[in-house]
Amino acid sequence: MNRTVSFGLLAGLVALLAVAVWIVVDGVGDGPDARTHVRAGLSAAEALAGSDTAGFARAMAPRPFEFPRDHGPHPDYRTEWWYLTGNLESDGGRPFGFQLTFFRSALSPTAPDRPSAWNTNQLWMAHFALTDIEAGSHIVGERFARGAAGLAGGQAEPFRVWLHDWEIRGLDDSGAFPMVLEVEQEGVELRLELDEGKGPVPQGIDGWSQKGPEPGNASYYLSWTRMPTRGHVTIGGDRHTLRGNAWMDREWSTSALGEANTGWDWFSLQLDDGREVMFFELRRDDGEPDPMNHGSLVGVDGEARRLGAGDVTLEVLDRWESPVDGALYPARWRMQIPDEELDLTITPRVADQEMVVSFRYWEGAVTVDGTSGSGPVGGLGYVELTGYAEDGGTRGAGSGSE
Amino acid sequence: MSLQFRAGFRHLLRHPWNLLLPVLGIALGVAVTVAIDLAIQSSREAFRVSSETVAGRATHQIQGGVTGVADSIPALLLRETGVRALAPVVEGWGSHPSEPDRPLRLLGIDPFSEAPFRPYLAGGPGAEVDGTRLLTERGAAFVSRATADRLGVAENEAFTLLVGGGLVELRLLGVLEPEDEWSRRGLRDLIVVDLSEAQAVLGRGGELDRIDLLLDEAVADSVLERIRAVLPPELRVEPAGSRERTMEEMVRAFDLNLTALSLLGLVFGVFLIYNTMTFSVVRRRRHFGTLRALGVTRGGILKSVLGEAAFLGVAGSVVGVLLGILLGRGLVRLVTRTINDLYFVVSVEGLALPPDVLLRGGLLGIFATLLAALPPAWEATSVSAREALARSTVETRVRALIPVAAGIGVGLLGLGGALILLTERSLGAAFTGLFAIIVGAALVVPILTIVLVGVLRPLLRRTVGILGAMAARGVVTALSRTAPAVAALVIAVSVTVGLGVMIQSFRGSVVQWLDVTLQADLYVSAPGGVSARAEGSLPEGLDELARGLPGVVGVSTYRGAEFDSDYGRTRLVGLDLDPRGEDAFDVLERMGGLSDEGLFERFRAGDGALISEPFAFRHDLSAGDTVRFASARGPAAFPVLAVFRDYGAEMGTVMIGRVAWDRGWDDRRITSLGIFLEPGASEGPIEAGLRSGSGSELLEVRSNQELRQLTLEVFDRTFEVTRVLRLLAFLVAFVGVLSALMALQLERSRELGVLRANGMTPGQTWGLVTAQTGLMGLVSGILALPLGLLMAVIMIHVVNRRSFGWTLEMTVSPMLLAQAVGLALAGALLAGVYPSWRMARTSPAEALRDE
Repeated sequence: MNRTVSFGLLAGLVALLAVAVWIVVDGVGDGPDARTHVRAGLSAAEALAGSDTAGFARAMAPRPFEFPRDHGPHPDYRTEWWYLTGNLESDGGRPFGFQLTFFRSALSPTAPDRPSAWNTNQLWMAHFALTDIEAGSHIVGERFARGAAGLAGGQAEPFRVWLHDWEIRGLDDSGAFPMVLEVEQEGVELRLELDEGKGPVPQGIDGWSQKGPEPGNASYYLSWTRMPTRGHVTIGGDRHTLRGNAWMDREWSTSALGEANTGWDWFSLQLDDGREVMFFELRRDDGEPDPMNHGSLVGVDGEARRLGAGDVTLEVLDRWESPVDGALYPARWRMQIPDEELDLTITPRVADQEMVVSFRYWEGAVTVDGTSGSGPVGGLGYVELTGYAEDGGTRGAGSGSE
Repeated sequence: MSLQFRAGFRHLLRHPWNLLLPVLGIALGVAVTVAIDLAIQSSREAFRVSSETVAGRATHQIQGGVTGVADSIPALLLRETGVRALAPVVEGWGSHPSEPDRPLRLLGIDPFSEAPFRPYLAGGPGAEVDGTRLLTERGAAFVSRATADRLGVAENEAFTLLVGGGLVELRLLGVLEPEDEWSRRGLRDLIVVDLSEAQAVLGRGGELDRIDLLLDEAVADSVLERIRAVLPPELRVEPAGSRERTMEEMVRAFDLNLTALSLLGLVFGVFLIYNTMTFSVVRRRRHFGTLRALGVTRGGILKSVLGEAAFLGVAGSVVGVLLGILLGRGLVRLVTRTINDLYFVVSVEGLALPPDVLLRGGLLGIFATLLAALPPAWEATSVSAREALARSTVETRVRALIPVAAGIGVGLLGLGGALILLTERSLGAAFTGLFAIIVGAALVVPILTIVLVGVLRPLLRRTVGILGAMAARGVVTALSRTAPAVAALVIAVSVTVGLGVMIQSFRGSVVQWLDVTLQADLYVSAPGGVSARAEGSLPEGLDELARGLPGVVGVSTYRGAEFDSDYGRTRLVGLDLDPRGEDAFDVLERMGGLSDEGLFERFRAGDGALISEPFAFRHDLSAGDTVRFASARGPAAFPVLAVFRDYGAEMGTVMIGRVAWDRGWDDRRITSLGIFLEPGASEGPIEAGLRSGSGSELLEVRSNQELRQLTLEVFDRTFEVTRVLRLLAFLVAFVGVLSALMALQLERSRELGVLRANGMTPGQTWGLVTAQTGLMGLVSGILALPLGLLMAVIMIHVVNRRSFGWTLEMTVSPMLLAQAVGLALAGALLAGVYPSWRMARTSPAEALRDE
């Protein structure tokens, strides 16, 4: 009997121990290492892309532009940008390309009612890229901030558009030009002074640029096509004094692209004969050229001639495969403008100028060579290609682009 | 299994009371320590998980000063210092109206800054929080699945939250479901809103609580230097987690107090084991003699007895750990509530079960058991094969040991006393001293018992007769068994006396303090708030409104803020003191040569500070010293005009005149008002006037009496844990006494059989047993009083002072002492019921039959 009892007791103890162990094991959660599995990711692309246009101002017709007011933001429109690109060269002849863009996006037609300096409906995004053409490198930066509490914003007088410490501003209080650009990213520091040069050039019809057939699918679009630029860049600890020409696009809209657009190819070319070409091609999901495609040819005197969809032919000569996921981008073009007797070959100065940011696109410095009439013509420029990568959007404007 | 082990276990099994009571005793002792340990660890763990989840991957933090961190600082840092990743945070506490006691953390973030810090809060594709909607929709909020379920709110539904500023309506936009347990736990009771929403809801426009920074290690030093150069003087940049460490530091004394109390439970468990093992060894002397004759070595006997003890220890510890988990579930709520009342807000869901705590509790039980069994086991080995000693020799030996034990006891008492008297601030020394005194007292108990019984014996003989004298004799002659029982009872009762007196004195001191402090007739504060402390700020101009109401003769305004200063977490108060409120300060120490008038004149002029006693103690400050703070306008120094009595804030409070506050900070807010009325003016119309005039129906307006009542309720709440522990300690001791007395009486069955055979009636037998247990109870009760009072003195003047920095007036109510003696007597008598019933019932022949 005793043996039975002691076995019983022993069994009981074992059972108790088992219960205790179970409770202990059950209570032990995942440690901090599991934190790494938390899904990461931040992109305002989604925010930039919303499709509900109700309540926002629309670009329905041409309008007069007034400065300095129109250098500042137009917060009633959903999307707006200050888009600066340029090809520069150091004293020693070393070539660089740069891009600095401030995107403003109104996330809703009005801001909610909150007594707080952080309250806003405006979200800002900025992209920066520096192409070190000799080294073949392409440095990219991206930032987001709400347009509140001094983190980011824009103002016409005195002119200033900024996100954190990236900034463009008027050199003095007298106006937007000469314009100072300051940006720092991963040890790269760029500081430029840009004169107004040629501009503003109104694109489309007096600066009203229609992108889709529906009314209001248009933007207000002005370009400064040749801005004499000087300044310096510090890269890899070396400081280079720079000179060259920049290009600034100012554009604001609420919805631009039509339903059928999958992306666009955009060209800004500064020819060495003193003329500039802007042309964009909206790509459609049926592969047909979009009748909305247009551009302009700016003469030496600054007078712009509008280029319609039929005035320009573009042929892709080469393709480049993104190392990220194998997305295929066009990489060399033949552009013909028969009326102007222009036959140009456009070649990226560095193949990989893909902007691997929260939505991917390709934006890079290009060289131009070809013929104008019977004589040779060369030049430099920037090309933007959107909608090629899986997660690529369109220049911030893309409603219904994917 | 060897012979002696089998014999030992069979012995245990044949005497189930010998098995069950010690197992129960050990189990209870272990359970109390484990439960307290678990409760403490759970509250710590909850605090850590929530602060770490909320702190995210920050490497540094900028902590707000009195008025938080200004809105403009993040942009400044991003522009001027090379900081790339920062996240501004506004935090507040609220609760759901259905569960006002359960704090919910309102976390205001900038979703577009969050990606490097708290990816699950960053707004964008793939993230869980829709930053766009947070930014653009009023009331937009995200919570975890568990919190959503608890609040009973579905996605896109509105819900109400009670926060400092009143009731606010939020809308649940979505549910956060991090994939890992860690983040899930951290998100418990967390409501994520946009910064702007948090500022709006909390009424804190213009200020942030902190800024999280992520600095690249390589450049951290140079960036930090630049940050310090541009930061306003009152802001501090510190490594992440330093604030949490400060917070944990604050509760350390509290935790230590609880742990020490819980160890008392185990001490009783050890007594119990000692008692049981001694008893069973004494009882089996003949048996051990036989084993020795059979060739079992001394070592074998030692092992066998220790084996039995180990069995009891393991069984008791396992049961104890399980019981501790059950008990811990209840205790964690009490502990958490106390932390919320006294220190900071923490929300604990369920009990954490760290294996090390359970293991520690279990091992403590087993080792304590073995330790307690060592002396009796040694005793068992001393039985020689030849002799089957009679008890009388044992008792003779025990008697011889009594003076030795008493000597050691006196030594321990002296050591404990010295430890306490010779140290000034060490809490560890105080508790070690206290324990030495308890053990020392236990060792002195037997000799005192002999003396006391000697005194009582003639008395008993006269009142109860021969049976009384016999009972008294029995206590002394069976000292080997009665002494541990009496000692255990003495300790148990003295602990209840000590804790009881301490709690009573504390409460008395608080009541007295409240009578002095609450001078105004009405107190007004912002509604809500999770803890008892006033939070939030009053509608602007309420003080002027109050001054203008008929019947109001004076108003004091009060602005309190907690922030990190050079003194650690500090409560700074800007006080606009009405002259009628001057009596509210119970001044303990004042600057030399300062009259009452002069003191308050200087205080009002902003020339000096009043500091609370705990603050003075913690930072070793006295009147005449200087306290320094970094104000928004640079360093500010205040001579300490006086130290005042205060039980309101454990971390300590510094009060400066409102003039000084306004000089240092650009902050016009008021946290609460004290309103003085004309004699005979009624409170109702004033309250109504304040509500209608300010348009805030939710203002908390309390009369002097209501606030006093509320404060005492909080006080009583914070001592609930102590009360529970006191009860548990007594319960363990009672089981010990029960087991000792029962074993003692059952073992006497032979002796009682003889008495019965010689003509003692069952009634007389019952009387004898009852008289004897009653006598032991009485002796314990009497001896427990001085020890209990001594413990009370130590806890009041040493432990509390060293833990919290305040002095208490000791008050002893005779009622409490009478209760203690009664408790000891009742406990002992109760323990005698079963044995005496059984003895009285057993026929003499049965009792005389050998085992």
